[in-house]
Amino acid sequence: MPLEIKTLKGRRVVPGRRRGLALVSMRPISFLGGVDPNSGVIIERGHDLKGKNVKETILCFPYGHGSTVGSYVLYSLAKKGLGPKAIINQTADPVVVVGAIIAEIPMIDQVDIQQIMMGDDVEVDCDKGLVKIVREGKSKPCI
Amino acid sequence: MYLTSEEERIYDGEYGWARQASMKILVRLGDLFGATQLEPIESAHISGVSYKTMGDASLDFLNALASEGGKTQVISTLNPAGFDPEYLANRFPEEYREKQLRIIDLYETMGIQPTLTCTPYYLRKPQLSGHLAWAESSAVVYANSILGSWTNREGSPSSLAAALVGKVPNYGMHQAENRQPSLLIKVEANLANKTEFGALGIYAGKLLKDRIPIFGGLSNYVNDDLKQLAAGLASSGMTSMFYYSVPCEKGGLETVSVETKDIKDTVEGLSTASEVPDLIFIGCPHCSLNELQSIAETVEGGKVKRGIELWVCTPRHLKQKAANYVNIIEKAGGHVLCDTCAIVTWIKNLGVNTMMTNSAKAAYYAPTLNEVSVTLAPLSKCVEAACH
Repeated sequence: MPLEIKTLKGRRVVPGRRRGLALVSMRPISFLGGVDPNSGVIIERGHDLKGKNVKETILCFPYGHGSTVGSYVLYSLAKKGLGPKAIINQTADPVVVVGAIIAEIPMIDQVDIQQIMMGDDVEVDCDKGLVKIVREGKSKPCI
Repeated sequence: MYLTSEEERIYDGEYGWARQASMKILVRLGDLFGATQLEPIESAHISGVSYKTMGDASLDFLNALASEGGKTQVISTLNPAGFDPEYLANRFPEEYREKQLRIIDLYETMGIQPTLTCTPYYLRKPQLSGHLAWAESSAVVYANSILGSWTNREGSPSSLAAALVGKVPNYGMHQAENRQPSLLIKVEANLANKTEFGALGIYAGKLLKDRIPIFGGLSNYVNDDLKQLAAGLASSGMTSMFYYSVPCEKGGLETVSVETKDIKDTVEGLSTASEVPDLIFIGCPHCSLNELQSIAETVEGGKVKRGIELWVCTPRHLKQKAANYVNIIEKAGGHVLCDTCAIVTWIKNLGVNTMMTNSAKAAYYAPTLNEVSVTLAPLSKCVEAACH
């Protein structure tokens, strides 16, 4: 199958380069109360990623909401090896940003995350503010 | 971002690692969000206190700052902890108690007052247009919107960093041009109680993203109603401020309407329980003096049923001030608790499976943070369910 490569631009938030599979939602995430700190599983009621694990993913969501303790939840996840490899946001908010800073999770924002599909193989270069998506052919529509 | 030579020396580590690490956090945030300089702050309010929500890794973070000599440079207050010393402390495992006391101790070592309340503005009202570094999202929205102070929605570590440096980067809500409304929310519903004000917040927070709204059409409200609106908004969204009166005809603003049905659906959507509650919780955010009075008036003469606990959470100084109301509530069999709340303590360990509350924010968080089912209802219904 032909390889499709797409590059998206963004803004460096926390430096670093990571490659992994995308976990994508168009809904905001609150790390406190929204993600189980002991497993990394998303538990927010009614969230489209409920039941999915953020561990070692390239976690893509529009922005963070809710409790300001979310920074520490993100930090705790990372310290336990349960954190995402990188975070891609549309609009970074201070709660997620400071969590990513102290947890040293590479992070980028101002990215059009609608262009990223669940399970895409994504390479994030936060230093340069680039997201490279490597996809095998076009995804087929569900019938 | 411009740094004074003194600030540069902090950044370079001349004043020790704790202030250097704090300064680095602030400078990175400031550079990212377009700050031009650091602004001296009047106070910091720090979240990340309950061991239940923080976990062990974050304790290490605090320990590093405290043991490297981190000291707050401004008046600094703390959010609620996992228990109060009087009623709950002895009902949890030794490990929880030790770690919780350790966290508070580390903050105190850094000079932070163990106020243990989410409503620091009842203890000390900040100045109009004074710059703050507050975490606790409900207090941030309350401070910007009702008190007219200026603060971003700080994450727990950045509120602490700001306390240790005594300054914040001047981006976001610290700039007048970023405090302008961009959406008019016409409230067509007649909000009957605090629960519905909270539900309006939850509903609006979801559609706002980071935009600042004007709520048009609110009437007969008191600050306690707006406190619930602030708490709801901050839970479901990232908004840091709202306006609640339309000073003049504000033309050209995008307008959305909120109908009675939207509020009703939100309240119903936040209620997950069908069972009788084990715990009835009032005081998210912590109760004001007026709220303590109205709770006392509602429970007076009643008696809390067997098998049910009624908790009323409030700041410690207000409990002392409101001794009469507290007596009435406790005589009826309720518990007036300070330093904590039902969301940040381990209610599951106490055998609670179903909680009833009048707070939309508490109802929003409890199913995941506390693994309980919830009934959201106004104070009168909560008291009716609690008492004979």
